[in-house]
Amino acid sequence: MGTSDLDRQIEQLKRCEPLTEAEVKALCLKAMEILVDESNVQRVDAPVTICGDIHGQFYDMKELFKVGGDCPKTNYLFLGDFVDRGFYSVETFLLLLALKVRYPDRITLIRGNHESRQITQVYGFYDECLRKYGSIRVIDRKQEVPHDGAMCDLLWSDPEDAVDGWGLSPRGAGFLFGGNVVSSFNHTNNIDYICRAHQLVMEGFKWMFNNKIVTVWSAPNYCYRCGNVAAILELDENLNKQFRVFEAAPHESRGVPAKRPAPDYFL
Amino acid sequence: MAKEAEAWDGPTAAELKAAGAEAIPGGVRVKGWVIQSHNGPILNSASVQLFEDKLQTTHLPEMVFGESLLSLQHVQTGIRLHFNALDALKAWKQEALPPVEVPAAAKWKFRSKPSDQVILDYDYTFTTPYRGSDAVVQKPDTMQASLDESSNLCWEDTEDQIDLVALSAKEPILFYDEVILYEDELADNGISFLTVRVRVMPTGWFLLMRFWLRVDGVLMRLRDTRVYCSFGSDEAKPVVLRECRWREATFASLSAKGYPSDCAAYGDPNLIAHKLPVVMQKTQKLKLPN
Repeated sequence: MGTSDLDRQIEQLKRCEPLTEAEVKALCLKAMEILVDESNVQRVDAPVTICGDIHGQFYDMKELFKVGGDCPKTNYLFLGDFVDRGFYSVETFLLLLALKVRYPDRITLIRGNHESRQITQVYGFYDECLRKYGSIRVIDRKQEVPHDGAMCDLLWSDPEDAVDGWGLSPRGAGFLFGGNVVSSFNHTNNIDYICRAHQLVMEGFKWMFNNKIVTVWSAPNYCYRCGNVAAILELDENLNKQFRVFEAAPHESRGVPAKRPAPDYFL
Repeated sequence: MAKEAEAWDGPTAAELKAAGAEAIPGGVRVKGWVIQSHNGPILNSASVQLFEDKLQTTHLPEMVFGESLLSLQHVQTGIRLHFNALDALKAWKQEALPPVEVPAAAKWKFRSKPSDQVILDYDYTFTTPYRGSDAVVQKPDTMQASLDESSNLCWEDTEDQIDLVALSAKEPILFYDEVILYEDELADNGISFLTVRVRVMPTGWFLLMRFWLRVDGVLMRLRDTRVYCSFGSDEAKPVVLRECRWREATFASLSAKGYPSDCAAYGDPNLIAHKLPVVMQKTQKLKLPN
C-alpha cells in the first residue's frame, strides 16, 4: 500500500465515506505490523495532545481535529473507546487507523474497554460492521480482555470519591480507587498526575484528588442527547497543560435535520 | 442504542383547530389541559452537587437530565401531574434495593484483593418505584417545578382498565415528546433508563413512563406506568387512570424457557416486554380534589 493510496483513503475517510472490504483488510494488516512493534508501555514524548472517548461520533471527532490541529502537525495520544454508541464507529476507527499507518510516530492509539469482542457485540460496533460490510469472519484476536490481571484492571477501574484506599464496586466486580492510592502510585512512579478517560464528564475534563488524576472526555453531546461539552488536553514541550474545550458539530454539517422526533402510537 | 430521529413537522393548523387545541411553547393547550415538556442537558458539576445534597448520596446515574420535565396540568381543578428526575431518584433512594452482582463477580471472589478495601453497596441499577409526581396547584400557567411540593392528590384502586382500543385509533397527534429523566450504562454492564413519552390526541392524552434495566447476563426489569385521560363530555371533571405494571426476569429463567440468553437480543424493551413475567400490576383512578 503506497503513501498516495493511503493519502487518498484518509481524504475519503475524512468525508465519512467507508473503505472497501479489501482496503480495510490491507489497512488492518499494515496497522498490525506497526502495533506489534510497539511496547505494552508506550513512551510518548511531548508536545502531545491527549484525547478521551470518541464513541463513533465521527463528525464530533472532526471538530476535535479542528480544535487540536491535523495529524501529523499535532502529535496525538488517544486513550481508547473509539467505537460503540455513535453512528459512525467504522469510519471513526478507520480514520484513526489510517492515520496511525500513515504517521506511526505522530499518533498513539491505546485500547479502551470498548475495543473488545464482548462489548462491541452489545453496544453497536459489531452490528454496524455487519450493516456496512455484510459479514465478519473469524478474527484472531491475540488477546481478549481477561477477567483479572493488570489489563482487566487498567480497562475497568475507576476513581471514587467515597473511598481513600481501595473499593469494590457494588456490581461485585471492578476496583474503585481513592486519593491515597493515586498519591502513592504517582509517588512510586515519579509522575505528576494520571490522565485517563472512560467516564463521562459534563465539562469535558475533571480533576480529582487535588489534581492527582484527571479524566478527559472527548465526545461532545454524548449519544446525541447529553448536551455536554468535550475536551482535549494539550501538553507543550515543557509539559504545560492547556485544556481545549469544544462542542458538538452543528446539525447541518452532519446531514441530519434538527427536527422533532416523529410521533409513534406507543401503547 | 441511539437512533437518528425521523423528521416530524408537528400537527397542522387544521388538526389543532379541529380539536379545539392551541400550540404553546413546548406543548399544547387542549380541553382544559396544559401539557408541556422540556428536554435539557445532563447535570453539570455544580448541579450534581446540589442533587447529591438533596438526595444525601454520593452516587447518581451517569446521565441525569435534571432540568427535563413533563407536566400535565388541568387548569380548572388545579390538578398537576409531572415527571422529573429528582423525584424519581428520591424514590430510588427510598426503595434502596440490594445491589445485583454481575457475572464477573463470581470469578472476582477468588481474586487477591487489597485487605482494607471498602465494599460499596448502594443500588447502582437506580431501580425506582416512581410513578410520577402530583399536586394541586392554585396558580396555573406556570411550568416551574416546585421541587419540594408535597403530593396531595389521591389515587384509588379501580377495576377499570385503560381503553387500549380507543388508544389504538390512529388519530392525529397534536403533541408528542419523549423526555429522558436519567440513564446509566452500568459501566458497560447493561443499561438503566428512565424515560417518559406522551402523546396528545383530539380525544385524550396518554403517557408511558418506563424504567428499563438490563444487567447483562443477570436480569431485566421493566417498570411501566401508563396514564390515560379520555376527554369526556364534562371538561371540569377529567377521568384519569394510572396503570402500573412491573415485569422482571433473570437471564437464567429466560434461557430455561428457550429464549436467547445473549444480551444483544435484549436491546429494545418494546420487543421483549411480553417475555418478562409480570410481578406487580395495579390500576388506579385519580380522585378529584374537592
